[in-house]
Amino acid sequence: MKRVERAVTFTVDQIAAYAEASGDHNPIHLDGDFARSVGLPGIIAHGMLQMGLLAGVAAEAAGGAGRLRRIYCRFAGMVEPGDTVTFAAEGAGPGKLALSAVNQRGEQILTKASAEYL
Amino acid sequence: MGVEGKTYPAVSSVIEPERVADFARSIGANSDDGVPPTFAAVYSLGTTAPYLFGDPEAGVDFAKLLHADQEFEWVRHPELGETVTSQGRVVSDISRRGMRFLTFEAETTGADGSGICRSRTLFVIRS
Repeated sequence: MKRVERAVTFTVDQIAAYAEASGDHNPIHLDGDFARSVGLPGIIAHGMLQMGLLAGVAAEAAGGAGRLRRIYCRFAGMVEPGDTVTFAAEGAGPGKLALSAVNQRGEQILTKASAEYL
Repeated sequence: MGVEGKTYPAVSSVIEPERVADFARSIGANSDDGVPPTFAAVYSLGTTAPYLFGDPEAGVDFAKLLHADQEFEWVRHPELGETVTSQGRVVSDISRRGMRFLTFEAETTGADGSGICRSRTLFVIRS
């Protein structure tokens, strides 16, 4: 199985679009002043937006989104607008995928990530 | 401890095609390929977690809440237009060294009661 890889540069607009589409309007994803008031560097991307992008490469590696039967990840690092994250999926035995998400500094932002498919 | 074992009300939702299309676009996917797997963040986790967050007995401070990990398991993926029902429950609620670790599961079923998805989330609440 070939490795599937996709690099995504996060933007304020994309994070806002995900908030709207997902219904997760937590202000840490939308309001920089609020985010800083709770000790964050500024607005951060939703973990579930990162996982959605990860599931995209997993679906491609699995031969279609409908074939995914399990996905797991730990949200290990923050993603800010301007960060470029490379999401990747590769075969890890029959019906299994090893997944990764690494930012432009080489930091794993999602860890222990894996998926299973039919 | 805490609200371990507590079950919240089941909630039904429709997998609305327009909402799915918007969601797919926001993660760079295409709803022509079916409902994106992590749309479960909406129909499973998203419909049930508000009961936990709004539960005075659970006392979750939303401002100190971190989504620490997430697993979804599917028997199948829902169809566009389908009505699904999801129900959340607290699997464990442990406080350790000033941090609270809350494991929350949601089970999603179809109209006939057959399984669709199980969502398992670890929330960490900072002190």
